[in-house]
Formats: sequence, C-alpha cells, structure tokens
Amino acid sequence: MIEILQWTTLIASGAATLSRIPNLVRRKNRSIFYALALLTLAILLSIDGPYLAIDARLGSANVANLLLRFIIFGAIFFLALRIAAGFGDSRGIQLIRGRTGMLALGLISAVMVVCFVLMDTSGSSAGLVDVAAKNQQNALLVEYYGAAGRAYPAYVCLAILPGMLRAIRSPLPALLRMSAALLAVGSIAIPLSLLFPLVPPGLGFLRFIINYTAILCFVVGLALIWVASGRAGRKHRPLPAERR
Amino acid sequence: MPLPAKAFQRWLNGVAPDTSTADICRVSGVKRTTLAQQLVRGKVAETTVVSISRAYNLNPVAALATFDTYSDLASSSLPPSDKELVSQIATVDLLRAVIVRTAPTGSTGTGSTGTESMDPRQPELSPPPHATSVKNWVDAIDDGELRHRVSTATGVAPQNYSAQLTANRLAPELAVATSRAAGVGLAGGLVATGLVTEAEAGWPRGARQAALDRLSDGDLAALSGERLQALGKTLRRQEQDQEQTERIWENLV
Repeated sequence: MIEILQWTTLIASGAATLSRIPNLVRRKNRSIFYALALLTLAILLSIDGPYLAIDARLGSANVANLLLRFIIFGAIFFLALRIAAGFGDSRGIQLIRGRTGMLALGLISAVMVVCFVLMDTSGSSAGLVDVAAKNQQNALLVEYYGAAGRAYPAYVCLAILPGMLRAIRSPLPALLRMSAALLAVGSIAIPLSLLFPLVPPGLGFLRFIINYTAILCFVVGLALIWVASGRAGRKHRPLPAERR
Repeated sequence: MPLPAKAFQRWLNGVAPDTSTADICRVSGVKRTTLAQQLVRGKVAETTVVSISRAYNLNPVAALATFDTYSDLASSSLPPSDKELVSQIATVDLLRAVIVRTAPTGSTGTGSTGTESMDPRQPELSPPPHATSVKNWVDAIDDGELRHRVSTATGVAPQNYSAQLTANRLAPELAVATSRAAGVGLAGGLVATGLVTEAEAGWPRGARQAALDRLSDGDLAALSGERLQALGKTLRRQEQDQEQTERIWENLV
C-alpha cells in the first residue's frame, strides 16, 4: 500500500516535471521546473531502493539523507514563492523571502547539520531507522534532525496557507479555487508532520500517508492550474499565436 | 418553490384539453426532455407555464395566478410606480436621454410630453430586463427594511437574497414576495426578472417612457450617475478578478 503511494507520487511528480520541459525551453517560469525536478529527486531519495543505491555512491554514511533534506528545502522554497506570487499573496512572499524566512532557513539548516554531524551515521538506512537504533544518543539526535527537516517546509506552508484559504473563497474560476483547496490541504498536511513524534508507533503508516498526500495535493493542485489555463484558451498567451 | 406537477397537469388540462405533450412542447417551444424531467420531479418551473400560456394566447400572469402560490397575482391591480418604471430602463437608455435633453439641437427639456417619444432622435427604450434590472427594481421599491421583511416572510437568508440580486436573478416566488413586502404591484418583480413582459404584467404602453419624461433633469442626471457608479464598481471588480486569474497564469503556468 505504502509502496504504491510512494511510486504513484514519484510518477505524478515526474510526469509534472516532464510536462514543464516545453516551458523550460521557452524560458517561462523556469523555477517551477526546477522545483518539480527537485521534488521528484526528493521522492526518489525517500524510497528505500533508490536511497540505498544512491547513498552507497556517497559513501554509505547517509549523506544522501542530508542531501534529501536540502533538496526538499529548495523545492519547497521555489514552489511556495511561485504559488504565493501567483495567488497575489505578498505577505506570504515576504514571510518566505524576507528576513524572517531567511533566518528560519539558516537556523533550521544549522540545527540539522549539527545534529547530522553529531550522529554516528555510518551504514546506509532510509529514514535513518538503523542509525536511530544504534544507541540512545543517536535516537535522540535523529529525532531532532527529523524535526528540523520538517520544520522549514512547515514554516513555508504556514506562510502560504492564508493566501490559499483566501483564494478558495475568492471569485476565481472553479478549477482554480479547487486547485487552491488542494494546495491548502497540502499546506496543512506538511505542518502536521511536525506532530510525527507524537504518533504512536502502531500508527506509523500515518506518517507516510500524510507525507505523500501532501506532495500529491501540491502536484495535482498545480496540474489543475495548467488544466484551467488550457481550458481558458490561449488568449492570455499571445506568443504562440504570433508565431503562427 | 416551483409549481406542483399535479396542479400543473390540472391547469394544462384546462388550457389544452386532449392535446399531447409533444404537441404542447412543439407549440410552446418548451423542450420535451425539460418538461418530462420537471413532471418526474414533481416541480414545474414558472417559465414553462409562461411559455405554454403564451403559445395558447393566455396572459402568463393570469395563468400563474391560477396556482396557489401566485393566487394573489390576480387580485393585484396596483399600477407600477414611477420609480419602478424608471428602474426598468436600461442604463444606456438613461444616458441617451441625458444626451438628448442636453444636446443643443434637441428640445431644451421644457416641452417634455408624450409626443417626444416620437422624436426620431429618441429611439424606443429597450424592453426589460436589462443587465441590472433586478437589483435596480428592488432598490427602487426598498424603504430600507424591505430585504429584512422579505427574508422573514420567505425564510431565505439575506445573503442568498443579495446574491441573487447581484447575479440579476430572482426566483419568481421571491420576486412576488418582494412586491408583497413592499406593497407594490405584484407582477413588477416578474417584469424585472424577465419572466413576463411589461404588457403582460399590465403596465401601460409607453409607461416607462412617460415616467422617464417626468423625471427632472437633475433627477435624471443623478440617477444616471448612480447607475454609472454601480456599473463602474462591477466592471472594476470584474477587472480585478481577471487580473487575479491573469497573475496565476503568469506565475504558475
């Protein structure tokens, strides 16, 4: 079940990335392509098999996990900025790109790196499960490390959430409001992941469901915007018409 | 809200006895599937009754009055007030009247009698409804408490009522309830929503033009100004919505 969700998310995200290639060539909103490409890479790295294969090349010290965290930071940063700009949420942009946002990013990254360095990270293990199992100290560090890794995406999502909620109630076309709703669900799900340490071990699958539904919501929400734009015709894109 | 199918069937039997549904639909222009669906659901739309009565040369208002919900339509004989009449003149027509009155070559506004409507420079007013006729009509008969009274009488939430007005719509039953609550002729709302014509509602021919002519230059200018202001607001809101959509395309597509 979880495997299916993982691979579905990977495929959805990969397909979304590929669909951005024409726009990448046209130099239109290229940061969306980069964000999606990073996201796809992040999903790939979060799946057991690919993770072990890649980490083996990086020295089997779980550097891939640290890499994964920063990839997620980058993807979420670019994506959230675009979304906030698209929905005219200047306060959201300010919160992400302004001093507060940069401070949050720096602080959280520092905590994450320190935790990582302090850990005995030898021995590839997706989700650092085996690393945490080594000893008490490691387990604690993995907990903090994980929390730090979720903190920045949570911060960014909370920054854009008010804009999305506003958009749902705005007089925008239905498809765009639906997309805003999906993005809002994603923005709520990611901060929820901060509560993971409180989830009882028996309900561990909840972590996966929350994580991957969040990503799916974001990807499908964006795709809906592209569908809506296609539906709206090409009048707002005079470029291709001129070329013809 | 719409008419019960049973009562409709009874009425139809009286109007067109021994006529097949197919024939009725052909004559009245009501789509067969639409009518069938309405009958199955047990609720027939007022527009259906209006179309059929027109096809059989009946007055649609009188036809509606045969149904319980609208029975008081028959006894209502209040003529429309000047304010109501003017509310049913399209903004463009009002502006045209402003121009005609102030144009140097036109009559200077002193001889405003019924003959002026024959003036070739003053073309006939376009028939109601116009783009904001419902809201303008309610505003024309509103004493400040009207919406509140309609809401209490019908149980329709004020925001739903306002939403209908903004969309230039009003369910026929609500339109009649509004007239009732305002103490004006009951068919006025049906004209404003475009369900029936002014003639069908018993408004005298040329009544709107006459009411317009009775407006003083000052009132006409002020009224046109109000309409323009409202139009400007609506257009600006549309432009903002458009801009918002445009911004999404620009940033996320």
